[in-house]
Amino acid sequence: MKHVANWSILGLTLVFLIGPFVIIILAGASAGQNLAFPPEGLSLKWYAKVFTIESFRASFLLSMELAIFGTLMALLLGVPAAYALNRYDIPGAETVRTVVAAPIIVPGIIVGLALLRYFVVPLNMTITLALFLAHTALVLPYAVRVVSSSMHNLRADMEEAAVLLGCTRFQAFIKVVLPNIRGGVLAAFILGFVTSFNQVPVSLFLSGPGVRTLPIDMLAYMEITFDPSVAALSALLAFMSLAIVFVAERLLGFSRYV
Amino acid sequence: MFRNTREGLALALPAAIFAMLLFLVPVGILLSEAFRTDGSWTLQGYIDFFASPLNRTVFLRSLKLGVLVAATAAVIGYAAAFCIVNLSPGSKGRVFGLVVLPLMISPVARTYAWIVILGRTGIVNMAITGLGLSDRPIRLLFTETAVFLGLLQLFLPLMIISLVSAMENIPRDVIPAARVLGASWPSVFLKIILPLTREGLVIGGTLVFTGALTAYITPAILGGSKVLMLETLLYQKVNVSNDFVSAGVIAMILILMSFSANLLLKRIATVRR
Repeated sequence: MKHVANWSILGLTLVFLIGPFVIIILAGASAGQNLAFPPEGLSLKWYAKVFTIESFRASFLLSMELAIFGTLMALLLGVPAAYALNRYDIPGAETVRTVVAAPIIVPGIIVGLALLRYFVVPLNMTITLALFLAHTALVLPYAVRVVSSSMHNLRADMEEAAVLLGCTRFQAFIKVVLPNIRGGVLAAFILGFVTSFNQVPVSLFLSGPGVRTLPIDMLAYMEITFDPSVAALSALLAFMSLAIVFVAERLLGFSRYV
Repeated sequence: MFRNTREGLALALPAAIFAMLLFLVPVGILLSEAFRTDGSWTLQGYIDFFASPLNRTVFLRSLKLGVLVAATAAVIGYAAAFCIVNLSPGSKGRVFGLVVLPLMISPVARTYAWIVILGRTGIVNMAITGLGLSDRPIRLLFTETAVFLGLLQLFLPLMIISLVSAMENIPRDVIPAARVLGASWPSVFLKIILPLTREGLVIGGTLVFTGALTAYITPAILGGSKVLMLETLLYQKVNVSNDFVSAGVIAMILILMSFSANLLLKRIATVRR
């Protein structure tokens, strides 16, 4: 009896959380011209059409590039910072921590607007460079936090031993620290990639002619057309995210770090 | 722990300077702009903002939806988290995975699904006309209900995660013991579960409230210009009317609301102790 009650509460919650995806996958597989559920017959034509829409292809590539390079840049800045915060007794460590974590606390739309108006425009920057910097800032807090927590579990004696045995500090970092935190770094990369790829508000104001990230492009497409292609694209993106997370989980128990 | 602080600073500073230049300075200037009219410091921007009935409506609506979404998420979250904690280890992992899964998927995709559900030709309207409850489709999109549902689906996982991790710290036998000694379910909840999970409730509540308050996509898609929220209003102020003073005011309100929600929830949680 208690079992039945348990599972019905869980069942309802999961239907609410997961049900919309099932619907979107099926709505994208409609044979009809308009978005509808239940679909008017099944076909994969909208899934195929997604790949032929030129603006989607361009914005997908841009989003990919931003997610990959923005996250790499965030790691390049974040890993040394996480290392320093864990291993050195630096003055103002709390301030550094707060400043680096700040982009997560303030709503994305404000970050995007402020960045555009007081950084990008005065410096006469290209939109692509601005997007790259914005996505780096967005991912930086995650990079520092995730790498920090995996660094925290690594004992400092190991690198001290390496240094005593003749390594320079840098060699000790490359040969001892990095191999030991690679799970955390990879987890930070995946989390950063997914965050950057899916995010909208920060990039909302940072669009130019022909320069749009995929989610922004989808929003714009939805305003003019009401066909099932956005449903199909949403379903494809959902599968992509799931595949990334699934592979990461299999490879290194990703969820431990998040 | 290494002593060489100069080396430590050299490693930490690039990240800090980057966040400072790209984030703190621009956001600081944006916020301060709302305090300046004609070159002098004033609160006029705020007074003007709240003088407009539309702005007041949007402000109250955002506050109301934020509170409503957080409260509903807490109720569903407690029920779901309690069930998850009581599952066998194997099913616990699987169910938890399903709860977390939506967080990895694009919010655009998640919100888009609600158009399919609530639209004129969506399932709900099909059911309503099919059952003869109404002879024409009802408008469900671009209502507060649509925004509420979208936000709830978006942020409920965060509440469940916070509450599950809080509940796992409750010693296993405490609840059965209280039941055996005659405590009713409401008093078990009020005297045991709530006090022992208050940290989780504070974290979950802050995440959901702040998330709902600062979400852009969901109100933009499901509310449109009929159900403006602070974020969509901010977008309009900038893109339609080039009004950067109001944008700064909204930015300040959003930041203040997020911070006060956190403080208030912390306070409530400590009083309950």
